[in-house]
Amino acid sequence: MAELTYRDAVARGIAQEMERDERVVFLGEDIGKAGGVFKTTVGLYEKFGPRRVRDTPISEQAILGAAMGAAMTGLRPIAEIMFADFLAVCFDYVANQMSKLRYMSNGQLACPLVIRTGNGGGVRFGAQHSQAVENWTMMIPGVKVVAPSSPMDVIGLMAAAVRDPDPVIFHEHKALYAIKGEVPDGEIVDRLGTAKILRPGHDCTIVALALMVPRALAAAEILQREHGVDAEVIDVRSLVPLDTQTILGSVAKTGRLFTVEENPRLCGWGAEIASIVADEAFWDLDGPIVRITTPHIPLPAADHLEDLALPSASRIVDKVCRVLNG
Amino acid sequence: MTSTIIMPQLGETVTEGKVLAWFKSVGDEIKEGDNLFEVETDKVTIEVQAVVAGRLSEIRVAPGATAKVGDVVAVVGGDVAAKARVQAESPAAKALLWRSPFEEVSTPTDRFGPSKGPNGVRITPLARRLIAQHGIDAARLAADAERRSVTKVDEAAVRAAIAERPSEPSTAPAVVVPPPTPTPPPAPEGGVISLNAVRQRTGERLTENWRTIPHVFQAIEVDFTRVDRVRGSRKAEFRAAHGISLTFLPFIARAACLALSAYPQVNARFDGKALILSRDVNLGIAVDLGHNGLVVPIVREAGALTAIGLARAIRRQIDKAKAGKLSADDFSGATYSISNNGAFGTAFTVPIINAPQVGILSTDAIRLKPAVVSTPEGDFLAPRMIGIVGQSFDHRAFDGAYSAAFLSRIKLILETRNWDEEFPSEL
Repeated sequence: MAELTYRDAVARGIAQEMERDERVVFLGEDIGKAGGVFKTTVGLYEKFGPRRVRDTPISEQAILGAAMGAAMTGLRPIAEIMFADFLAVCFDYVANQMSKLRYMSNGQLACPLVIRTGNGGGVRFGAQHSQAVENWTMMIPGVKVVAPSSPMDVIGLMAAAVRDPDPVIFHEHKALYAIKGEVPDGEIVDRLGTAKILRPGHDCTIVALALMVPRALAAAEILQREHGVDAEVIDVRSLVPLDTQTILGSVAKTGRLFTVEENPRLCGWGAEIASIVADEAFWDLDGPIVRITTPHIPLPAADHLEDLALPSASRIVDKVCRVLNG
Repeated sequence: MTSTIIMPQLGETVTEGKVLAWFKSVGDEIKEGDNLFEVETDKVTIEVQAVVAGRLSEIRVAPGATAKVGDVVAVVGGDVAAKARVQAESPAAKALLWRSPFEEVSTPTDRFGPSKGPNGVRITPLARRLIAQHGIDAARLAADAERRSVTKVDEAAVRAAIAERPSEPSTAPAVVVPPPTPTPPPAPEGGVISLNAVRQRTGERLTENWRTIPHVFQAIEVDFTRVDRVRGSRKAEFRAAHGISLTFLPFIARAACLALSAYPQVNARFDGKALILSRDVNLGIAVDLGHNGLVVPIVREAGALTAIGLARAIRRQIDKAKAGKLSADDFSGATYSISNNGAFGTAFTVPIINAPQVGILSTDAIRLKPAVVSTPEGDFLAPRMIGIVGQSFDHRAFDGAYSAAFLSRIKLILETRNWDEEFPSEL
């Protein structure tokens, strides 16, 4: 057991898979000699060498095109898109190419690759480098989408993503890189498509993802301490496949659902969950489903405005109290 | 050697059924003919008997869950211990079931009462389910709660009201506990009457129809004296031939069928945008189940039947209804309905339309009344058999003049038709 940062967990997760399987290669901008602009890949170049850890030109299309070709011809590439916002630059590969390959070739071709990307805001990078875009990727049939919130989940889900036979988009959260968590020694392998109940409770269900998970947990503590509300907090972890059963089971118990998303409001992932729950768990609902989101605005660069825009623990507390007690 | 038990075909138009209860448990020895499980379709509730013998080794569709016709609901024979897992429908068990890409979300088909309670009090979905499943009186609950809406918070009251309540009921989604049926236990405050499943469903449909259809009621006074004479002269022989009494209803039904062929817009379905005319008349006949619910079985192709044919067909459906032997097909596809309330002497009744039908006829008491009869010799006051025939119609489907013309045609037929021709001489 060791305490590890989320940042170091990324490198450990990649290393674990590269050690296990020599087909696993890693490419991206400044990920090799520089150890990554967020220092998430320190030591990999030294350990696995320039053949398997490749610095690329500044071209997202080149990165994903190369990764896709490598995946089609037998390797298991991990490609880094430095900022998740840049997925827009190479979106054709994500939305039209790698996600459709298995289907359009009638299973003759597969594309087992992982796209790692620094997602989300809260670190003062402005409107073009701070977006939470997990919902962009969630909407594409043919890719899987995960977004871990803890160092342990980073390693376990990275292993699951690398071992998956199809493309997986792996959203790391930039504001979580510095957090620390206990991680057991040895190999860690998790399962895609599984949510985790991080805090059991009876009065309401709060579903969160990535950076919103620690904020939801903090909110739940305040709710318990100051308002006597016993909230259950679920970390969705995987948007595709989505563990609806854990969410539905929780709502069956609590009767109330809140989603906390960093996505701007329109078409954020919480809307999909709200829709499923409103449909399947209608007879378990004791009140409206409430979404707590970033407003539908470009994320401001100014510190206090960015903090105001992203859902915070106190905003979650306010909203939950208002809805439950109002 | 194992056999499977499938969801039976419960009528031509029925595609799925909801298992309400299993009468046997996994491990039980079953014989052919044993009552195995109870199924509810959107039209009827039926007990399904075993057609094989052996030990029940697996129940695949738990109470409250729905299965398509032909789906395996249970297995007889084989290893019991290994398969006794799906006992109650839990989310986890549900996840094991395969879902087609077109059904990623499984929408519940249950209905648990209206969202507005007495005095407009709002009832949340969860509260409605708990109230329905435990036969709670929503009015009393709302009054007790004295709040804007009934929520699970009032669950304490729900809990208090029923002793046998499991500790965490809300974790078992959509398992329908059928409320205690015909006689409610004596209760304080003048008593609480829990609605049985038939009445709950009827109530929900009536509410929906009353809320969504712009009803207009029209009625016409009909002189039944001629019909009554024919009825009087044929009664004895009819009873001798068919073993049933000859009432006014088959005459009214016959007149309605004849009038429907002249006014086809009344014999139609309304789908919100268009009126779809029906070729046949499938006549729904409202039958009261001894004050314990109302069913509306159908006489198919009623337009082709004479008054005698209708008399027999109606009797057959009423008998089936009272014996609880109606199948799902006896309920589906009515194109027009008749509600007959004559037995208690009422003058007229405004019935509620059964969507997607666009009209419903009501008949009430027919009795001797003083009436003015016009003859070439002048107008005379005479005792005549007078009754009121009324119709509620959907004003979106047609207008008052059309309905009035239809009613007037019924009146004309009842008063002037040579009814003797309906009765063959060899009867």
